[in-house]
Amino acid sequence: MTFAEVLRANQSMVFSLAFHFLRDPGAAEEVAQDVFLRLHQKFDELEGPRHATFWLRKATSRRAIDYVRKRGSRATIALDDIAEPSSAEQPGDPLLNRRLRQLIATLPEKPRMVMVLRYQEDLMPEEISEILEMPVRTVKSHLQRSLAMLREKIDRSLGDIR
Amino acid sequence: MEDFERQLRNALARKQEPPTFEAKVYAAVAAQRSGRGIFWRWATEGAAVVVIASGFWMGYQHENQQRAAGEAAKARLEVALRITVTELSKIQKTVRTSTEDE
Amino acid sequence: MIAIRTFFIACIALAPLCAQELKLPANLDRLATKASEVVDVTLDSNLLQLASRFLSDKNPDDAQVKKVISGLKGIYVRSFEFEKTGEYAESDLEPLRTQLHAPAWSRIVGVRSTKSSENSEVFVKTEGGKIGGLAILVTEPKQLTIVSIEGAIDPDQLSELGGHFGIPKIESDPKHKDNGRGKDQ
Repeated sequence: MTFAEVLRANQSMVFSLAFHFLRDPGAAEEVAQDVFLRLHQKFDELEGPRHATFWLRKATSRRAIDYVRKRGSRATIALDDIAEPSSAEQPGDPLLNRRLRQLIATLPEKPRMVMVLRYQEDLMPEEISEILEMPVRTVKSHLQRSLAMLREKIDRSLGDIR
Repeated sequence: MEDFERQLRNALARKQEPPTFEAKVYAAVAAQRSGRGIFWRWATEGAAVVVIASGFWMGYQHENQQRAAGEAAKARLEVALRITVTELSKIQKTVRTSTEDE
Repeated sequence: MIAIRTFFIACIALAPLCAQELKLPANLDRLATKASEVVDVTLDSNLLQLASRFLSDKNPDDAQVKKVISGLKGIYVRSFEFEKTGEYAESDLEPLRTQLHAPAWSRIVGVRSTKSSENSEVFVKTEGGKIGGLAILVTEPKQLTIVSIEGAIDPDQLSELGGHFGIPKIESDPKHKDNGRGKDQ
């Protein structure tokens, strides 16, 4: 395992985690770059590619949350103005996707990161609990409440998508 | 519920990092270590070209992305070739000096 | 007098046909954590192709570089500068050296300077009677440089890059005014 291999294998994951959480491409790039810089410093402490991926998810989550906290009341980009980075494939209804991302961005920090880890990375609550260092039941509760809120708002604005 | 979760997965699908991202990380790693020396110069010059290259990257439009990625790759190529040719040149010079001394 | 080109030509004649990609060992990344300065450049075939598209045929320097990289599959450079001696051991290079041996690879130059404790080696790989790869290994007490070039490389063209594209000019051999095309030694 080399640094170059880990960087190449995980750069999209790290950038996307930061982007979906922050909804600001410039800030996401800054956070992702900082995470890889830290990874480079800690590289010899890592035990393999899986450990590297776990470490990257954890570091990105923490760094992105810190970034929002430090940014505080500083003006942020209006959610509708965000230039979407490209993705290989964007299945589903683009308008609905956009609306969902906007709604996720309104969630508080921890539940928002739980949602991003769950649905971007397809992680189970147990894995999210390890990454965010919170009890599994808290993760599940964040997921349930966030899903209920999103469904309600989506149903209200776009109609039932079931 | 499954449909809704599928929609969420679509909405939060992984995005492609900016094309200059990898080059910027390498430049940042090199820049992290402040100091002097020929390697530092190579690294910072490479980083400078990457930064200039990133200027070409306007937004996320495909054409500009390609351009910035190409400029970043070109900057890295320049650093790589500079090191290679310099090392070969040094070796050639040493061999020449030693054979002349004989 | 030895011109770089002649090293390569001599080697082609000596080395058998063999193809094996040189892998830079993983422990090199660990050396980076000890180094005070690091250069880590990785250009695989995709990145080389991409860079090539941004080299203009109208610009003579760009055109020359384009020609040089046209047959390449990858360029990998790792350079480390350390604050003090002893930060890396010869054993760190062992995984690399074990790959750089016959029949795939031939060491065409080995220069050891007792004054500066610098040890420089150039290896080439041959494929079908042509150069299919080049590796440079330069070790100094506080510095380590490894260059690996994969693919068909023309040493003449590489030498001619000196003085162009921000690359330092290679001193011409006074006894080989014909651009290093003279006889060996």
